[in-house]
Amino acid sequence: MPKSQYIDPKKVFEPGYIHFEDIPVNQYAKTLDEEKTLYSKADMMRIYRDMRIIREFETMLNEIKTKSVYNGVEYNNPGPAHLSLGQEASAVGEAYSLDINDFTFGSHRSHGEILAKGLSSIHKLDDAELYDIMKEFLGGSILKVIEGKEEVKGNIKELAIDFLLYGALAEIFARTTGFNKGLGGSMHAFFIPFGIFPNNAIVGGAVPIALGAALYKRSNKKKGIVVANFGDGACGRGPVLESLNMSAMDQIRQLWGTTDNGNNPGLPILFNIFDNFYGMGGQTMGETMAFGMPARIGAGVNPDEMHSERVNGYNPFAVIDAVSRKKELLLRGEGPAMLDVVTYRTTGHSPSDSSTYRTPEEIEEWKEACPIKAYKEKLILGGVATSEEFDAIDEVIINRMTKVCRLAVDEEISPRMDLDKNPDAISGIMFSNEKRPVMEEGREPDVLIPKEENPRVKSLAVKSRWAFDENGKPLPKTKIFGLRDGLFEAILDKFYEDPTLIAYGEDNRDWGGAYAVYRGLTEALPYHRFFNAPISEAAIVGSAVGYAMCGGRAIVELMYADFIGCAGDEIFNQVAKWQSMSAGILKMPIIVRVSVGSKYGAQHSQDWTALCAHIPGLKVVFPASPYDAKGLMNEALSGTDPVIFFESQRIYDVGEQFHKGGVPTEYYEVKLGDPDVKREGKDVTILTIGAVLYRALDAAKTLEEKYGISAEIIDARSIVPFDYTKVIESVKKTGKIIIVGDACERGSVMRDMAANIAELAFDYLDAPPVAFGSRNWITPSHELEKYFFPQADGIIDVISEKLMPIPGHTAHLNVSDVEKIDRSKKGV
Amino acid sequence: MATAVIMPRQGQSVESCVITEWQKQKGDSVKVGDILFSYETDKSSFDEKSEVEGTLLEILAAAGDDVPCLETVCIIGSPGEDISALIPAKTEAAAPAAETAAAEATTTEATAAEASAVSAPAADTKEAASLDGDRLRISPRARNLALRTGADLSQAEPTGPMGRIIERDVNSLLDAGKTTTTEQVESYLANPAAYKAPAAEPVQADKAVVPTAEAPAKAAYTDVKVTNIRRVIAKSMHASLSTMAQLTLNSSFDATELLDYRAKVKASGEALGMANITLNDMVLFAVAKTLMQHKECNAHWMDDFIRVFENVNLGIAVDTDRGLMVPTLPAAETLTLNELSVAAKALIKETQSGSISPDKLAGASFTVTNLGSLGVESFTPVINPPQVAILGVDCVTYRLKEDGTTYPAMGLSLTFDHRALDGAPAARFLKDLSAALEHFSLTLAK
Repeated sequence: MPKSQYIDPKKVFEPGYIHFEDIPVNQYAKTLDEEKTLYSKADMMRIYRDMRIIREFETMLNEIKTKSVYNGVEYNNPGPAHLSLGQEASAVGEAYSLDINDFTFGSHRSHGEILAKGLSSIHKLDDAELYDIMKEFLGGSILKVIEGKEEVKGNIKELAIDFLLYGALAEIFARTTGFNKGLGGSMHAFFIPFGIFPNNAIVGGAVPIALGAALYKRSNKKKGIVVANFGDGACGRGPVLESLNMSAMDQIRQLWGTTDNGNNPGLPILFNIFDNFYGMGGQTMGETMAFGMPARIGAGVNPDEMHSERVNGYNPFAVIDAVSRKKELLLRGEGPAMLDVVTYRTTGHSPSDSSTYRTPEEIEEWKEACPIKAYKEKLILGGVATSEEFDAIDEVIINRMTKVCRLAVDEEISPRMDLDKNPDAISGIMFSNEKRPVMEEGREPDVLIPKEENPRVKSLAVKSRWAFDENGKPLPKTKIFGLRDGLFEAILDKFYEDPTLIAYGEDNRDWGGAYAVYRGLTEALPYHRFFNAPISEAAIVGSAVGYAMCGGRAIVELMYADFIGCAGDEIFNQVAKWQSMSAGILKMPIIVRVSVGSKYGAQHSQDWTALCAHIPGLKVVFPASPYDAKGLMNEALSGTDPVIFFESQRIYDVGEQFHKGGVPTEYYEVKLGDPDVKREGKDVTILTIGAVLYRALDAAKTLEEKYGISAEIIDARSIVPFDYTKVIESVKKTGKIIIVGDACERGSVMRDMAANIAELAFDYLDAPPVAFGSRNWITPSHELEKYFFPQADGIIDVISEKLMPIPGHTAHLNVSDVEKIDRSKKGV
Repeated sequence: MATAVIMPRQGQSVESCVITEWQKQKGDSVKVGDILFSYETDKSSFDEKSEVEGTLLEILAAAGDDVPCLETVCIIGSPGEDISALIPAKTEAAAPAAETAAAEATTTEATAAEASAVSAPAADTKEAASLDGDRLRISPRARNLALRTGADLSQAEPTGPMGRIIERDVNSLLDAGKTTTTEQVESYLANPAAYKAPAAEPVQADKAVVPTAEAPAKAAYTDVKVTNIRRVIAKSMHASLSTMAQLTLNSSFDATELLDYRAKVKASGEALGMANITLNDMVLFAVAKTLMQHKECNAHWMDDFIRVFENVNLGIAVDTDRGLMVPTLPAAETLTLNELSVAAKALIKETQSGSISPDKLAGASFTVTNLGSLGVESFTPVINPPQVAILGVDCVTYRLKEDGTTYPAMGLSLTFDHRALDGAPAARFLKDLSAALEHFSLTLAK
């Protein structure tokens, strides 16, 4: 909503047409003679070698999967192997012109791309760099296996090829000597020193991530381009389509301002579609999709039509030509770009696929068209090399592959993770738990004004940081420093400290975030650090993952917690898993801010902490006071782990009522996982999650004044991690606990905590711990919400009915066992 | 005609906004679209633009003021125009009045709901037995406590949900001295259904082991069960003494007139259809009348504020065989002496018979307790929280006058909570009360 862009009704109603440029299809037409001027014989032979290595690597995997033996090496591999036999020319052609500053992202079918990019990087790196990379990676554990056993001795590059093949295969076989200690596996392998970024088992899953990598390069002025590899089947996925649009959004070239070279560049990202005609078995051309040729998609994205082009992926030269041109274009700042590379896999989706969806004739015809065979024949025919020269290359490759396979299946040389000896090996990498206030040292953060000149900073300076005046009377909300201000202060500080920090989401800029947490950031930050994203939750969160993988820190916001579903895969499969699937190589310093609503009905009022807490790898917090909000945000922003930061719209304006002295102006941290006793008591414990804290305080007041019952209130503050020590201590004292939150009760965090407390404090309990959440309903209208969300009187009812009957108290809620069983029977 | 500019409502949940800056001053001329003032909510800041042309005639809120939405902020019109109709009437006075009204509303609600600490439990909460087949319903915490202390669970009265024995029930056993050996507790827990209370007193069995020559045949004490009401009284009285700043003032007055009046009523009252008015009734009557002039004594201490009552809801301490109870005579100041006497008697009777509704045991604003009939000359009554004072009525003694004759002096002991009021106002109340009783015939005219 930039004011600088005026929407003129006269203009937008003018008649006219949208024009499309032609999208080239298989227009590469160079002859071998022309190609000989572009490529040396060595280049041409290397292209052959690389294709042949990929072919042999996947043939080996196919043999192992289907026959459990390759060249006499026996092994049974229960894990996945999605092969791309037939697609080698596409992979090698793409990698040819890329270097280690160019980042590639792939799919579940990316062995070929990994090897091709690895081989290309090995070719371009000098020996010293190459050896250092191998020596340093995972403490040299991979190098140790292969050094001294080289296929071709005395050559660092040849050693590096062994390193690449072995590291990838050991990863596929889940060995600790794999690129990710065997925790990623076939579908998630990667090797960042060669610019090979993670592949993804979720179809299209890597596309928003690649977008984030491009964002990182653009925002932090880093060298190189990003290539998002995905298949024609992935074009049906929302996150992919979201990413195409977001990568091309107008603001990048219209509003983000010029960079140092006077250019106003678009995102340096190539969306590279390997069109092999099948998404598993669904045929995209003619059956499941409408584009006929995926290159058509580009025409719908932006006026540049994403420079879309369809090329022959069975001709490596055609692919090299296309990718080189796209790379130049991207480096000129004209991105994003799209390529549609026609290719074909002659094997099944996986070795168990019997190809019921296509005819044997079709497969035979494509095998006949084999890109490697055709290339070799062309070079022999064109007098570039002899058949014997090719045979010699083949022999080395087969020997090398046999050796690598033998090493990788060896349980001694390539052991699996020993969870008997080291039971915490995986626990230890679920979170990185590092303290890194700044993700990139030595660079000044880009800001527009000094912090002290910020209008919000000035306005906050006169606010009271304590909720009450000197007589203990509550101050009006307009005069106090509220919870939203606590968040703002932490975030603003970090923007002036960490140059890599960016924040985006819907309505962040100008509007200041739907709930005004970001008010004042627009004035402080340039667009490339703080911008409005399209309404594309998957792309918003997914891109943050890519941004973090590259070494940046991001805060993304989803406005309502209810929209978590729109970014489900990105939060649950991407944000949550990459630290551990990478064996700790990757860090995920991402804050996903989600706000829990009320008043706005069933799709805008949900507390989904349980969904997030259920997925391993996410930290989940839900502060309820300004002090905690600022402290937890500070701690989250200084760590390297992903934090789902729940906020409640009910309490953005509350002042600090607990921390004596109010919210400090200076920096401090509140430790994640440490609950806080907000009110001391001795008769019953109330453990609260989120905004319900204030209703619990009301209940405690009534309990005290009316019934003489003293309630202790503990605010959970964090959900993952969570330290039960204080809660258990309290239960030892009171013997009774009720856990309250606004989430629907079934399967909630409250239930989980109740079960854990029952286990941990059984001998001290005077009654079973009770979870009291919202009804298992839709959220009704605001006027009816008191029947849905837990209220203060309901808390007293539950205490009286389930924990300690209160003489003189008449409960209004029906919390009897009969009712409970009945509700459960009905599923409500 | 002049126009009032109001504070706009920026969203449903916004109740007020703070004016951050005035862009125009009083007397400035204003064009349509000119910014009059800037203001902000907790979320965002706004500029208020003028929708009319004219002169800024009046500014009703200064920068920094928190102005309720829809309230008039300034007035624009032509110089000299009469704008008095547009200026909100006495905004300052209106606000506190509204506050008081709200406070009063809550007062009535609260008083109705509020239970006097000494009121009897709502019902005799005898729970179902804690046995579920041959399993004892008992919380782990209560079980552990019993095993640790030897509380005799076979005597427990369960008060937990579903007839479960919970910690407080075990504490009740311990308070009542109902203990036994750990072995007995274990054996009871193992098979509560088959458990028979130990034939002889287990305590004695234990004691018999001790070779004392003159072991008493029977324990020289009786453990009396603490009833619920006793427990409630204990708690309330202890809370009273441990949380309040109580002190007692003693005084006396010449009861000649009072005693004469009492004699008169006794002699001929019944014939006139009057109740048998007692000395205590007369004291209650005088207290009710005098409290109307000393409302600070007719109040509740609510920690954050003091709730001063408009009526005298007079608590009357009644000795019953279940313990001390305090029924309330609502709006006692509105009653004639005869009405008061009839009402008080009925109330006392109901209380003693135990048929009184719990509602009538709640809500007193001041309490009178009388130990005079038992010959007590002076004492320190204990306040029923959250009341701020209690009057003790003492017996009549005879004192010498200057001329050597004697007069009947009746003692009054006023305990008050020094947190709520100081000694002088309390003493003045006592002095006026004494006067009212001394000149009872005049008081009757009130």
